[in-house]
Amino acid sequence: MTASDYDETMQLLCDRLGSLVSSDTPITPESNLIGQLAIDSIKLLNLIMEIEDTFDISVPINALADVQTVRDLVDLIHKIKSA
Amino acid sequence: MSSTITKLNAPLTQTFDSQSSDESQITPTPTNNALTQQLTGFDTLTSALEYAAEGTTGYNFYDARGNLRSVLAYSTLRQNARILAQRLSSFDLPRGERVAIIADTSPEFIELFFACRYAGLVPFAMPVPVNLGSHAIYVQQLRGMLLSSQASLALANVDFFNFLSEAAEETAGLKWIGTPGQLSELPAKDIEFQKNHPDETAYLQFTSGSTRTPRGVVITERALMCNLEGIVCNGLELKPTDRSASWLPFYHDMGLVGLVLAPMIGQISVDYLATRDFAVRPLQWLRLISRNRCTVAFSQPFGLKLCTLRVRESDLKDLDLSCWRAAGIGAEMIRPETLKSFADKFASAGFDENAFLPCYGLAESTLAVTFSKIGQGSKSLQVDSKTLIDKRTAVRVQAEGRKFNEFVNCGQPLPGHTVKIVDEEGQQLSEFMVGSVLVQGDSIMTGYYNNPEETNKALKPGNWLDTGDIGFLFEGDLYITGRRTDVIIVNGRNIRAQDIEELAEQQAEVRSREASAFGINDADGATTIVLVIECRLASVTERQSLTSRLQQLVYMAFGVNCVVELVPPHTLPRTSSGKLSRFAARQGYIQRTNLTDQLSATAESGDR
Repeated sequence: MTASDYDETMQLLCDRLGSLVSSDTPITPESNLIGQLAIDSIKLLNLIMEIEDTFDISVPINALADVQTVRDLVDLIHKIKSA
Repeated sequence: MSSTITKLNAPLTQTFDSQSSDESQITPTPTNNALTQQLTGFDTLTSALEYAAEGTTGYNFYDARGNLRSVLAYSTLRQNARILAQRLSSFDLPRGERVAIIADTSPEFIELFFACRYAGLVPFAMPVPVNLGSHAIYVQQLRGMLLSSQASLALANVDFFNFLSEAAEETAGLKWIGTPGQLSELPAKDIEFQKNHPDETAYLQFTSGSTRTPRGVVITERALMCNLEGIVCNGLELKPTDRSASWLPFYHDMGLVGLVLAPMIGQISVDYLATRDFAVRPLQWLRLISRNRCTVAFSQPFGLKLCTLRVRESDLKDLDLSCWRAAGIGAEMIRPETLKSFADKFASAGFDENAFLPCYGLAESTLAVTFSKIGQGSKSLQVDSKTLIDKRTAVRVQAEGRKFNEFVNCGQPLPGHTVKIVDEEGQQLSEFMVGSVLVQGDSIMTGYYNNPEETNKALKPGNWLDTGDIGFLFEGDLYITGRRTDVIIVNGRNIRAQDIEELAEQQAEVRSREASAFGINDADGATTIVLVIECRLASVTERQSLTSRLQQLVYMAFGVNCVVELVPPHTLPRTSSGKLSRFAARQGYIQRTNLTDQLSATAESGDR
């Protein structure tokens, strides 16, 4: 995956999160998914499913333990796609 | 690339390697066994496996896309477990030493679990990390369990090994940690296995996510076999034509005892879907049931809710659930509406609502306490809300228009078990009176491992187990009306209020006994956790920082959002002995926030 793919993934994810999150909080790569965006477990499951379908990947459960920010999540997707 | 992601390199590679392996050769174990079904007469887990291994049935593991990934016939399980037991024996551990295993839904976990029993060791399952950003807290939880169990060995699949090795760093007493692969490289000691005794501990079951005071339930072989026999003979009336499907985690009592050990005791085949795969795509579970003609499948009400929420009309026509005769429901309060929505939604896919099988149980009683009558569906009772609050008595609604609460009939105790309802002084109450639910019988735990204080709280004189739940009896059937305030159930997860308060008290700004956690239900029955903190901070920034840090910690530890309320010191009500009263704290919160209709919910939880 190239750098532009990375930016594209970031944009896609920020847009998607924007529609998931009820508040007007602007979404940046540093936004904290839990603290700032309040992604609960149901929203998270939906998001994972969409990510898996969109990118045709499988997100391993152990990897999510190290995801806190939007950037962490994009890094993870990027990492899996490039594997 | 961040260092955390780099660290995950190895696990990810492993995951993908296994996914690209050739799967065309394997076929699932059959439903119809070549062996005659035998449900009773086993005195230990390994003796039951010795019998099951003579047949052709076993465990099957499916991936997120519904492809069969691996098969573990009981015969192979016996063989592999015995070899692993010889390798475990090379550690020369005394009988009864504990072995910790991170329990993902995999054949390796089951092999290790049985290997421990063949070797006379006591296995226990540790959870997998499921919450976003939970790395640090998860490692602390693992460490808590390793210390509390005084485990000698600990194992995890490669995917989870980095967490285990971090947890092991400061854990004295651990002699070895490794992966199943590493264990297989150890020499096998050629020994004759000693027969297990029914009075020996079969396994530990951890019931709390607390990092400081985890509680490991001690279950003997006798208790286990008694409970399993009750489940397969009386609860399920298991038949040779039965087949199970399950997504329940192996580290929960319902997943382990109900859907790993019980099917083996009855020599039936099981089809597994990993919990995470179910959570992301719940319909895969129903597809497995439909495709493999499964007859027995359990879920928490929350799992049914996920299926109802996520199903599309187009999915329904491909499903045939008419084979499903025992849809066991347990592990949390059962609301009739949840069952009704599920039945309505899946009726067109052949689901028969008479398959609903409400039951009640807890890890401290191995698993099951009561089962409703199989094949009769879920029955419930509508009781007058006002009498329930004022007199703590369940009276059936007579007149139209009276406000009522509806409670599901969880059925009668398994043979050899007795349920009684007592008041605050421990006096037995009569039919319809609401009080604490106590259980007595052979399935009851010996205690919490190495924790006499908690054991004495749970086990009352005469070996009556105080379940912590509130309910009433009618015609011998148990109705659960709520839990005491010390347990909060959110989306199917049981969370101890104490564990949340403990997290808060670990913050520098929070003094001990100045945090109170409880659950608030909205009209739909959804529960929100509220954490009230007595706070001396004046600065808005500092207050905001504490609030968001607490929300984040609770999320990482328990995977749920919570409301944090900061109140001035001395706001939280205390009992005469200076202890915080969660019940009073909850009442205070409700008054402050004007949630007046919530007050009716207090009757439902029936607590003090």
